[in-house]
Amino acid sequence: MRPNFFHHLHPPTIPARQARLRYTLAAGGLAVFLGLVLLVTGLLEMFYYIPTPDHASASIQTITFLVPYGGLVRNLHFWSAQFLVIVSLVHLFRVILTGAYAPPRRFNYLLGMGLLVLAVLLDFTGYVLRWDEGIHWALVTGTNLVRSIPLLGAPLYTLVVGGAQPGPATLIRFYGWHIFGLTLAAGILVAWHIFRVRRDGGIAVPPPAFRIDHSRITRFELVRREVLAMLLAATALLILSTFAAAPLAPSINASPLVETARAPWFFLWVQQMLKLGNPFFWGVVVPLAVLLLLSLIPYIFPTVTKPDLGRWFPRGNTLARIVALIVLTGILVLTVLALIPVS
Amino acid sequence: MRRYSLLVTSLAFLLTLLVAGWDQRLRPKPIPLTPTLTGQVEYCLTCHSDLAQISNSHPVQTFGCVLCHGGEALALDANLAHSTMRGGSNPSDFSVVQASCGGANCHSGTPESYNNHIQRATTSIQATYAGAIAIIRYTFGVQPDLTASLGIFSVRAPGSTSGITSLSAFDPFQETNPFVKAFGQNCLTCHLSAQPLPGSVYFRFTGCAACHTPTQSADRSNTQQLQSSQVHKLTTAISYTQCDTCHNRGNYDLRTITFAPRLDLSNDRLHDYYQPIAQFTSCEWMLDCVDCHTRTEAMGDDSLYSSKLDIQYIQCKTCHGTPTELPQPRTLTDPNDLVFRLALLNPVVDLKLGDTILVTQKDEPLWNTRVLPDGTYQLVGKASGQVFPFKPVMGSACTQNGTDQTSAYCHTCHSMTR
Repeated sequence: MRPNFFHHLHPPTIPARQARLRYTLAAGGLAVFLGLVLLVTGLLEMFYYIPTPDHASASIQTITFLVPYGGLVRNLHFWSAQFLVIVSLVHLFRVILTGAYAPPRRFNYLLGMGLLVLAVLLDFTGYVLRWDEGIHWALVTGTNLVRSIPLLGAPLYTLVVGGAQPGPATLIRFYGWHIFGLTLAAGILVAWHIFRVRRDGGIAVPPPAFRIDHSRITRFELVRREVLAMLLAATALLILSTFAAAPLAPSINASPLVETARAPWFFLWVQQMLKLGNPFFWGVVVPLAVLLLLSLIPYIFPTVTKPDLGRWFPRGNTLARIVALIVLTGILVLTVLALIPVS
Repeated sequence: MRRYSLLVTSLAFLLTLLVAGWDQRLRPKPIPLTPTLTGQVEYCLTCHSDLAQISNSHPVQTFGCVLCHGGEALALDANLAHSTMRGGSNPSDFSVVQASCGGANCHSGTPESYNNHIQRATTSIQATYAGAIAIIRYTFGVQPDLTASLGIFSVRAPGSTSGITSLSAFDPFQETNPFVKAFGQNCLTCHLSAQPLPGSVYFRFTGCAACHTPTQSADRSNTQQLQSSQVHKLTTAISYTQCDTCHNRGNYDLRTITFAPRLDLSNDRLHDYYQPIAQFTSCEWMLDCVDCHTRTEAMGDDSLYSSKLDIQYIQCKTCHGTPTELPQPRTLTDPNDLVFRLALLNPVVDLKLGDTILVTQKDEPLWNTRVLPDGTYQLVGKASGQVFPFKPVMGSACTQNGTDQTSAYCHTCHSMTR
């Protein structure tokens, strides 16, 4: 069979161990697929979304309830965005727990961290675009956190919000970042990330001399598996989007912020920490420190030796794994605590 | 299996697409409405197309739903659509009435007092309950006289002619006298912002709708009550049964500061009317309350009062005159006369220029009365549509002193026997 365009995006053959589902969890590939779904559904939403405070919420209600299949498209966009954050985290922890970030993949690990940050920022900016009561708390709290940064806070706040308080300038800025700035950056980083995967020798496996299994699979088989994974993911997304609606709330009006308001789920751990006191420390310094710690894992902790690559929990990076799992557990515990209603 | 995995997965995906498409087809087709007053499309009729138009003066094509009710105009999800409705199902509750019914083109802020309903109603004694509060506080020695200073809510009436221009909010928890405290807890059930007592005979809405939305059948013998939150009607044809949701339902016992509901009510209007000890004439039980009591008596006149007696002034002589005086007539010569507006809202009479009606001592039109050429009169029931002919006292055998009008006088001869 003559390879087509899509086959040519892949190497002619790769070691079979690189493509095992139980090793990769298909997380990286799923992230790319979800990114594509987000791109297409986001483009469709742009035909109807109106980025002004007076019309944003109404235009989303129009998309959801009145445009044929608009609700389905919006639900697909919403669920893809949530799963993108989840599969990105799964991908990150797969890489950490298999030690796959060892040189020469340290730089690509950083590119991946950048993509995770972009995914979260895209999710948050998209969340704010709803411009309804459901996001009001997160918008006010999030932008006030920026203001809490010493020295840089005020100019950064003006840069993000575009004025003394959230208003039309804020919405158009979040819109600009969401559909253009962050999306463009994410597109470039995805291309770079995938390029580096191939440049660094594909998915991490031991060098040929240390391999037990020398079997390889062709690009045809690889594409077949990818299509299979995409079909399964698309089916699951469609079912979810048909029966579970993305959240909506009344448009932001003069009413005061409601006490039950919550941050988006991926920032609940930050919301919980904010209860501890100083907003700059708990809301800015600690999350950035966590991000920095995770980013520096390949550089500051012992790494896996090449013969140990390509399997879960290898010798050599135990400390990094423990640190990463402590961070993950901390974030999960804080998230659960934030979900427990205050009596 | 591996061979067919792509095929099977593709089929599953296609099937899911079909399900998603089918799910879209099952959803109700949106029904748009662009009311002329707002020019903003709303989709409430998608679910509520079966709801009757609320009144002839509020055509749905003109007002739509959102202008009065609030809510999310575009949402087709019930929870979201209803989440921002004003006053739940009752936008006329006084906590939201200004936003729902107010505005210079509607029922507030107009210079013409006849259209300034919200200001009048919220300062009326039925809304403030100031009289009951003042009497109780005076009775138990908390205040030195019967002048009202507290109401259900704080309210101002800059144009008040009674000497009282504002009331503070009555807070039972601030009261030290246990009886006044108990009054606050047990007896505040009959003002226009109070939720009604439990029980079908008490059921009414709050705010304007307490009176203007019929929740009780006008016919007591009709046991099927209209007590659903879905009653979507505003009317000025208010049956006595609606007034009875507060009035005539029982007594407040001053010893225990509790409400004692009447247990002797029947479906027979004669026996359903007034307390057992009360004397009343035939017109007092055959007519509806609104047939005699005027709009300012019921809804206030933009002044704050300490007692119902300060605003209620209709007497027997208003319609019947005295042995020496005829009731006051007014021949309609002005096409802009308020009576034509009132008769338009409740078209039980066909008023024309040149007709002569009766007016009250304060010159309020009794637009449902007519002076007939033979010197007699007729009244048309606002809620019943029944025609009641009646005569002046003058020329009759009545020897009553015209200034003695309380029930102790007229009822001596004219009381009904049950």
